[in-house]
Amino acid sequence: MMQYPQISIPPRSEHLWRYTPWRRIHPTKVEEMPMADPINFSTGEDSVMDDSSEIGRSFIHSISKVCNLVTIDNEHLELDLRCSGHICAGELNLVSSGKSSLIIRVSGDAGWTGLRVIGEVKGTLSVALINDLAEDGHLLRCEDWTVGRDSTLEISTLSVGGILNKSDIRIDLKLNGAEVRTGIASNGHKSRHDDHHIEIQHSVGHTNSSLVMHAACGGASHSVGTGLLTICEGADGSDAGQVFRNLLLSEKARAEAIPELEVLADDVKAAHGAASAPVDSEQIHYLASRGLNFEEASTLIVEGFLMDAFRQVRNKEVVETLRTRLLVHLECLIKG
Amino acid sequence: MGDELLSIDSLHVSVADTEIIKGVSLKISIGEVHAIMGRNGSGKSTLVNAIMGHPAYEITSGTIKFNGVDVEEMEVFERARAGMFLSFQYPASIPGVQVGTFLRKSVSSVRGDSAPSAREFRKELKTHMESLNMDKSFLARYVNDGFSGGEKKRLEILQMLLLNPRLALLDETDSGLDIDALRVVADGINSVAPNAGCLLITHYERLLEHVKPDYVHVMIDGKIVKTGNAGLASELESKGYDWLEV
Repeated sequence: MMQYPQISIPPRSEHLWRYTPWRRIHPTKVEEMPMADPINFSTGEDSVMDDSSEIGRSFIHSISKVCNLVTIDNEHLELDLRCSGHICAGELNLVSSGKSSLIIRVSGDAGWTGLRVIGEVKGTLSVALINDLAEDGHLLRCEDWTVGRDSTLEISTLSVGGILNKSDIRIDLKLNGAEVRTGIASNGHKSRHDDHHIEIQHSVGHTNSSLVMHAACGGASHSVGTGLLTICEGADGSDAGQVFRNLLLSEKARAEAIPELEVLADDVKAAHGAASAPVDSEQIHYLASRGLNFEEASTLIVEGFLMDAFRQVRNKEVVETLRTRLLVHLECLIKG
Repeated sequence: MGDELLSIDSLHVSVADTEIIKGVSLKISIGEVHAIMGRNGSGKSTLVNAIMGHPAYEITSGTIKFNGVDVEEMEVFERARAGMFLSFQYPASIPGVQVGTFLRKSVSSVRGDSAPSAREFRKELKTHMESLNMDKSFLARYVNDGFSGGEKKRLEILQMLLLNPRLALLDETDSGLDIDALRVVADGINSVAPNAGCLLITHYERLLEHVKPDYVHVMIDGKIVKTGNAGLASELESKGYDWLEV
């Protein structure tokens, strides 16, 4: 297997690299292999992870000095990832069984953070990643999930930290009855650039997937949401949907929402949609008629819009954790 | 009856450069219940939306005074905080915002310094929800999102009870309600009415069987063409509106 830095730099014509090219998300010069401080995991044990032929994953693997294994079985776990130093990196192996939930909070003042996650789900796992990095931080996040037979993965992201973020999340529904529900909420403010690329592959039939991404775009922020949904040949009976919505809060904000479908089976349900719009004036008026001024009404609408990305998440504890963290973030923004 | 609360004088209102209200004058005092009836498109909803300050409704001439103050320069939220309440015909949905959160923020905004503590608020909420036969699971749902017509109207009335307005404008609050729900909603209106002015927009006499109006006004083509007592509603039910046209 070719390893970084032998892997050729991907061209911007590739969907994944169009809006946040490798040169932009790399922490130094692309030919360099910088020294990295390890991510500090609050729990888990030492582990190892194979390299990857994909450039982002291979890069994080090459500079990481830590690989952490977390095993959860019928439990709720909160995992803190503290990221500090100029460049910080780490790998996380997750193995889940039974009915479990996991909150991963990524925080700290690292200038650049690289996080690679490999997850394996048997049973039901509701996992939420909260990007709570310092507001000038950069994040490269690469995740690979496999969902087993009759298993369900709920994977939520609340992205409110960092100034330049790229997430590349890939989910493989490998066996019959596998299901994934993905919710992503991104709050754009100032010049924040937040790029999420999500690939969901239905490798076999009778598998279900849904993806909802909501991005609130204020200031001069730039939100990117690209999805690639693949229903493999013979994966009949699959049911899949992707929706990207952007709430445009300022004239300088930009948003890209690009769902793509690749359907190679015959008997499937596959839907996708994307929409961008400013705040609904009727919502503002309704809230104003209940005594909320424009700023209060707008904040509440943004809060609701972002939380609505998690509408399909059934684990209430996870949803409430996301809501609490979002409220703290929005309050901090208002107070400056 | 009581002190004059709302005074509308020679009001003209346009929407997208089309005049809808063509010279309406109306006075409502505390403790009075007024009903406006009329055909679809006669301007009833336009009138209450203009009173509440919807930005799409432009007052081209005339005045609206609330407690003696001209409201034209007041923002919508300022009107609400001053004691105006509009029960919407089609209330907006706010996905992602839980009813409980919304109600708490609204009560806090409108009632200001006299807003109840968290504990008192929960107590008030429980009392009013029970009176409206609303299950507490309602509070975790998103505002008007996926609500049936009847659920939306109950939520409007719940808000009215919590906000305790001086002036309640109710735009077709009876539409889409079954008989039992209509009675529950009417009880809510009756509990607010003694200490407020109420202006009901309705098409049907059936709401007025439960909420007795002091005055019934008939609106045709943007004008109030006739005013009477509760008996006028019965007359309209049997005769329709043709006999009132000029």
